[in-house]
Amino acid sequence: MRIKKKEIQSEIFTGSMADISFLLIIYFMITSAFSADRGLDFALPEDTDTPEIKQEDSIDVHVLRGGAIEVDAKGLPLEGLLPYVLEKLKQKPDKPVILRTDPDATYGDMIRVFDTLRSARDEWTDVDGRPLHMDARGKPLTEIQTISIPTRREIENLWSMLGIQ
Amino acid sequence: MALIRGRDRKGAAQIFTASMADIVFLLLVFFILTYKVEVDRTKMDLPDTWVRSKVPEKAAVISIAPPDDITAPLVVRVSTGEEMSLPVSTNEEVVTFASTEVARNPNKEFIVKADEQVPYEYVDAVLDALKQSKVKNIYLLSEQKTVDR
Repeated sequence: MRIKKKEIQSEIFTGSMADISFLLIIYFMITSAFSADRGLDFALPEDTDTPEIKQEDSIDVHVLRGGAIEVDAKGLPLEGLLPYVLEKLKQKPDKPVILRTDPDATYGDMIRVFDTLRSARDEWTDVDGRPLHMDARGKPLTEIQTISIPTRREIENLWSMLGIQ
Repeated sequence: MALIRGRDRKGAAQIFTASMADIVFLLLVFFILTYKVEVDRTKMDLPDTWVRSKVPEKAAVISIAPPDDITAPLVVRVSTGEEMSLPVSTNEEVVTFASTEVARNPNKEFIVKADEQVPYEYVDAVLDALKQSKVKNIYLLSEQKTVDR
């Protein structure tokens, strides 16, 4: 009598795969965070010394407590900031803008003004990126070349250098 | 008898689950690809801006959040970008932290994550600490500004 061999089929047990997948998915759903990953960038000068900028050569933007701004010591609405800067830069395109903020103003106030200055590129070019304004020498004016954000220590150093108390 | 046989043949109502594994795998792949460890989980209202550029991965983070109690001091936390953030109590600690990171990598980027209601003098102190540490690039974290906001 011939004994019939029992055939054992080898297979990977996949019954628990769905359970493992669910476990992993729950882990990833709980631990993953859709965090803010964008922001306003700015490069700091290589040297930490106070840059040699004469006050008359720059545009001084002062953010006051409450969010109001003074540009070159004159009160100005935020909407008027870019047109004012544009007129100044038409005369001297490399004129730096110095952004000072009152210690009692909020960080949000400062960011609002900084964002306005940074959005000059969008305001001064058309949808195809072509410049809308020219400077006095006929060169395209598309952005503010230098926006400086001095810290209070740097401002105090500058004032003491100039002999202002 | 026939009635019983007929009843036997009737299939019980079932939810079709064969495609469930596929859906779960699809979701799993999505979460694995988009998974990012958030090194600082301080909850705060970031300021809104029109201009926003992508923050580099593994940049160091300095977060400034208002305390739960108004009388308490601000909560400043620092992270290398690879480890979870730790609280610091003085400005000197921020300078030490930033200097160490810059010594390790001179081109290390720093993210300043601050609540929009924080008085500017605290942000100024952090920026000053970063300047003292010769940090080259700073990102001020923000949310996208929309017309309604």
